[in-house]
Amino acid sequence: MFDLKNPSRRKFLTMAGTAAGASLLGNTGLVVPSAYGAGALGAVKEEDAVIAFGHVGPISDEGWTSTHHDGLVAVKAAFPKAKYLEIETIPYSADATRTFRQFVAENATLIFSSSEYGDLLAEVSNRAPKVAFMECNGHRVADNFSWYYVKHWMPTYVIGVAAGLMSKTGKLGYVASFPVPSVFTSVNAFQMGAKSVNPKATTQVISINSWFDPQGASQAGTALLDNGADFLFGIMDEAAYLQVAEKRGIPAAMWNTDVRRYGPKSYVTSCVVDWRKFYVEQTRKRLAGTWTGNEQILLPLGEGVDRDAWGESVPENVRQTADAVRTKMLKDGFNPFAGEIKDSAGKVKIAAGEKMDDMALYNWNWAVEGVTGLAT
Amino acid sequence: MELLTGILFTAFLAGGVLGLAALGEVLSERVGVFNLGLEGLMALGGVTAIITVTIVPNPFVGILGSLAIGLVFGAVFATATVLFRANQVLCGLALTIMGTGLSASIGKNYAGHPAKVVFEGVAIPYLSDLPVLGKAFFSQNVMVYVVFIVLPIAVHFLMFKTRHGMKMRAVGENPAAADAAGIAVMTIRFWYVTIGASLAAAAGGYLTLAFVPSWSEGITAGRGWIATALVIFAGFRPFNAVLGALAFGIITSLGFVGQARNWPIAPAMLSTLPYLGTIAFMIVPVFVWKRMQQKMAAPAALGRPYFRDER
Repeated sequence: MFDLKNPSRRKFLTMAGTAAGASLLGNTGLVVPSAYGAGALGAVKEEDAVIAFGHVGPISDEGWTSTHHDGLVAVKAAFPKAKYLEIETIPYSADATRTFRQFVAENATLIFSSSEYGDLLAEVSNRAPKVAFMECNGHRVADNFSWYYVKHWMPTYVIGVAAGLMSKTGKLGYVASFPVPSVFTSVNAFQMGAKSVNPKATTQVISINSWFDPQGASQAGTALLDNGADFLFGIMDEAAYLQVAEKRGIPAAMWNTDVRRYGPKSYVTSCVVDWRKFYVEQTRKRLAGTWTGNEQILLPLGEGVDRDAWGESVPENVRQTADAVRTKMLKDGFNPFAGEIKDSAGKVKIAAGEKMDDMALYNWNWAVEGVTGLAT
Repeated sequence: MELLTGILFTAFLAGGVLGLAALGEVLSERVGVFNLGLEGLMALGGVTAIITVTIVPNPFVGILGSLAIGLVFGAVFATATVLFRANQVLCGLALTIMGTGLSASIGKNYAGHPAKVVFEGVAIPYLSDLPVLGKAFFSQNVMVYVVFIVLPIAVHFLMFKTRHGMKMRAVGENPAAADAAGIAVMTIRFWYVTIGASLAAAAGGYLTLAFVPSWSEGITAGRGWIATALVIFAGFRPFNAVLGALAFGIITSLGFVGQARNWPIAPAMLSTLPYLGTIAFMIVPVFVWKRMQQKMAAPAALGRPYFRDER
């Protein structure tokens, strides 16, 4: 039931809540099953449409949330007559449920949630079968509910290759948020990429329990560098640890957007994401009445996620080696996540000859050999 | 050794925030006014500093901006608590709630942006080359020297070596007697509460210009409360206050070093260290050192508004 190795307060509370709720409401008919209203998502006129965006952080972060906001701007440009709603910095609490319910109350036709709110969001979507929901990094689907994410592990592996080549000691540092699958996948892809070119490579992780905490991120970055790391990577929504790296003259790679102006000498590259095309396409489908739930969408390398242009301090040979891997992924469908892969305890998890598929990568919940500091 | 240097370096940086706010609170509490608004003042000071340096790219101007906003809100607080004799605890809590909320809304467009300019470290010649401690002590930014050396000396001198300081303490201990002796109780209280609030806001500016360095909602993360506790722990003495702040800085940086070194403690546990430290600091001395309770006792009139009619 509750996965102790993957603790999450939300999951735990939900479980308790579901158990209690199910026993109370199970036979009363008060619970509307999510299948209700299948096919009710018909076409909508542009002037009647209300497109809502709920974000986890501030849109001024120049990172994750700003990329989603750029998506909204693109949708607005494509469908100027529709009405738009946007709310920032929604906490992972019952406030999230209230916020999304507010969207429904304001007649939203399509709701994008730019972070995983899980059951906090499901509670709203289950009772609003005529509203289309899209959850970024989500894990459940329904007739009015789809999730989407990017195959960030591909560019991350490429960044790992660059890190492995640029690090002298092989000690890499990673500023993480929570021990959740997207973080496991990112850390693992980074470590595997580095190890493919530098057998000494190891990755030390510090979790700061937030996606957006400039102060925690800069302290974590400092602690990693003090501990001997000579390359920093992380999965933060902002650029704080890049500033630490710049001050210390250590290379660092980032997430989300091009933030090289905050550390021009240190900036290596970034795992950049771009939702504009995807959001416009989904909105078009919703207006035309062709949008469907039950979809699990992972945007591939080159279409929504990629590495950014290399930073000024990245040597030519590093660029070439890393880009060769990227080209192989794009042209030959190269999948570097092939056995044998051991976990951080040294146990073989993926046997030689086996390959991890997209869903296995998306739901990765153990750390590979060479990663320390990430609870498994 | 590298590690120790790193811990101390971060400890001074992190502790400076607490030290500055605690010094402000020492001034305020010594004249008998309990200011629970530090958290809100720090948040306001932090966002003001960021906005100021966006307009004028000079960190000193940024700190001046924080001091100014602290003066404004400090004067409002002092008007309520000193002149109108409102309940100090409630006014302090109101100031915290208003400060955190207001700073979040005016800082909305600045959240996550790195500061345009920051306080850079200044290496003091020769001294900064000392092994281990040299870098931690003598290559800090100028604010660290101000908080750990200049201000404590100034406040200590003012409070304990001057006639004016004696008046201040008299106002905090027994305002009625001070009043009878011809000391302007209200004036002294009003100004030191305002100046104290101003220092607390400057602590916020220090946080966003020297330590983090950027603004985001909730960046103060309870530091105002820790500083409030620190003042009591320090027995309302300026040097103790900054030393306590340094101890907290060490505890804070240990949390991250612990993770980097893979200490077998859960990361969530390590990040609660500063708060656990607060509780320990409050409780332990009382048990260990009975005499300290007397010596470190709060000013007798702390928290009580002064009514001349009741004299």
